[in-house]
Amino acid sequence: MIESINCSFRYQNTETDALKALDIKIATGECIVLCGKSGCGKTTLTRLLNGLIPSFFSGELTGLCSTFGLDPRISAIEDYVPLVGSVFQNPKTQYFNVDTTAELAFPCENAGMSSDVIQKRVTDCAADFGLEHLLHRSIFKLSGGEKQRIAFGAACILHPKLLVLDEPTSNLDYKAIAELHDMIAKKKAEGITIVIAEHRLAWIADLADRFCLFENGMLRGQWNADEFRALPLATLQAMGLRPLCTTQYHQQAIEKSQLPSSGKNPLISAVNLSVGYGKKSPVYDVTHFQICKGEIVGLMGHNGIGKSTLAKTLCGLLKPVSGSITPAKEKERLKNSFMVMQDVNYQLFSDSVREEVMLGATKPELCDQVLSALGLTNLADRHPMSLSGGQKQRVAIASAMLSGKEFIVLDEPTSGLDYYHMTKVAQLLNQLKEQGAAVLVITHDEELAAGWCDRVIYL
Amino acid sequence: MPVRLDPRAKLYLLLLSNLTLFLHVSLRAEILLVILLLFLFFLSGKLKSGIRMTIIYSALVGIDFFVIPVAEGLLLNFLSMLSVGIRMMLPCIISGAYAFSTTTVGEMVCGLRKLNVPECIIIPCVTVVRFFPTIAEDYRQIRSAMAFRGIATGNVALLRHPAQSLEYILMPLLMNSNNVAQDLSVAAMTKGISLPGQHTSMIELKMTPFDVLYMLTCTIPFILFLGGVL
Repeated sequence: MIESINCSFRYQNTETDALKALDIKIATGECIVLCGKSGCGKTTLTRLLNGLIPSFFSGELTGLCSTFGLDPRISAIEDYVPLVGSVFQNPKTQYFNVDTTAELAFPCENAGMSSDVIQKRVTDCAADFGLEHLLHRSIFKLSGGEKQRIAFGAACILHPKLLVLDEPTSNLDYKAIAELHDMIAKKKAEGITIVIAEHRLAWIADLADRFCLFENGMLRGQWNADEFRALPLATLQAMGLRPLCTTQYHQQAIEKSQLPSSGKNPLISAVNLSVGYGKKSPVYDVTHFQICKGEIVGLMGHNGIGKSTLAKTLCGLLKPVSGSITPAKEKERLKNSFMVMQDVNYQLFSDSVREEVMLGATKPELCDQVLSALGLTNLADRHPMSLSGGQKQRVAIASAMLSGKEFIVLDEPTSGLDYYHMTKVAQLLNQLKEQGAAVLVITHDEELAAGWCDRVIYL
Repeated sequence: MPVRLDPRAKLYLLLLSNLTLFLHVSLRAEILLVILLLFLFFLSGKLKSGIRMTIIYSALVGIDFFVIPVAEGLLLNFLSMLSVGIRMMLPCIISGAYAFSTTTVGEMVCGLRKLNVPECIIIPCVTVVRFFPTIAEDYRQIRSAMAFRGIATGNVALLRHPAQSLEYILMPLLMNSNNVAQDLSVAAMTKGISLPGQHTSMIELKMTPFDVLYMLTCTIPFILFLGGVL
């Protein structure tokens, strides 16, 4: 069992406590969901539970927080390994090996098990979770969902008593989430204690025994599953939380996919388009596509179906395999397009926010106005890499606005965002739209698609 | 059924071909060694690479036999010098290519562990193998991002402003690598990379008589050269 008494933690070189006077008890076999806005302290709690604090993330720890008798102030991270399995947010960066089987075997190898025991563990784990078809594959060829399932398998391979998951679904589509859900359900049935920090609450609602709401490092409230399900949507939204049921949004998104394009003069249109890398392997075919200035179009579909490839082709980064796009020249499309990438770190080049947004700007006179509209005025002299993820994203959007380009693509702008921050991003989309841009949003977020997109295209 | 050597045998062959380069082994001994090495490609089912390497090496040996004796003029002399240089490096390239294309990371790690190489050397090796494909992907992403900003679009532009381009590529690359490195370390630590005690391998490696035989056979040309026979 897990018990925390008056536990506080402050990361090194920060001013405020990430966790404040936390009192919580988690019984063996319970499934707990930690929720709250970004930066509320839920990730910090997961790091306390799996021993990464203070071994890896150092800082000032006071009070008691014991995980099955292990005290982070005394026990080293190694002591936690056999007891706690961890799954993290980003499927791309939680693999240590190049090969899926090696990744599953990795914890056993580190624990010094003999070869036949490891092989048995790996086969059993694959059989338990239906991962056989994923064994002996290169991780660079797996989809995000498949990666996350292997990561979950690897977290379970040492038969831990506690599983800690930190936003495991933020990069996944609905099918992949359902598969992860079934894996967690299996572990719960075995009596394993499970702690999940998560923004998307709908998929986990039937497994959770208790919901814990965090705000500014403090535990604000706890509800058991029935109480929490009874909370009205408005209450959840006021707490900055995502809905417990997304069927309605799914419906709305599908209805929006039936809508015709509004304008008569499309900015970009395509007929019988086939996109992909190279003629031999077209990824996806589109019979008809168009987008007009002043509309927000959502682009949805499973992981790996070709959303990004289509967007890259429309932007002029890729040549179409076949079919026609107007404007036909890639260079011309590239000149009029801007993409806010899912990983914004790739597109920040300058030493300060102001220089960053002015780089390649064609409307420099609007700089101050845009910075203040996006709440970046106070950050104008900061180094872009010193900002938080959400702030970096706003810098990229500001660059898009100042570039004067008319076709703006956003790749998964709301992945891993709570309700509050999701609406903030949605407002930015509206600002782009009001500026007269054609906005294409690649997303898995049906709530965003239903609430803020004018139209939805399902691939 | 393709036959593959034990990683340790591959390591030995790599060492051997390096020695032939540094000790200037005679052409005849070198040819014998290369034939033995090329045979490995065909044994392991890598026909394409095997044929390609065979053609390249035969061509270079052909130049050695037929062009160099009659070479006149500065340019031709220079070109034949170059071909000899490349030919002498080929044994290393061939054994290296064989080792890399037929060994999985798991086998490499297991082999190194059996040779009692400390974990503090093995782990960085694994990390490097894991990192390289990531960097290629990162580079593509950054180039796209630069294209949207109108910075150095196309390869020619990269060369025209090398310093600026380097900065625009390196900054995001390093920042991103830093993030990835932290995430990877965190994941590896929760999976027990720092656990004390002997780490084991799922794969079982055993030196077969065939491995030993092959290693010895490959050494024969080298020994004959040292003995002055070849």
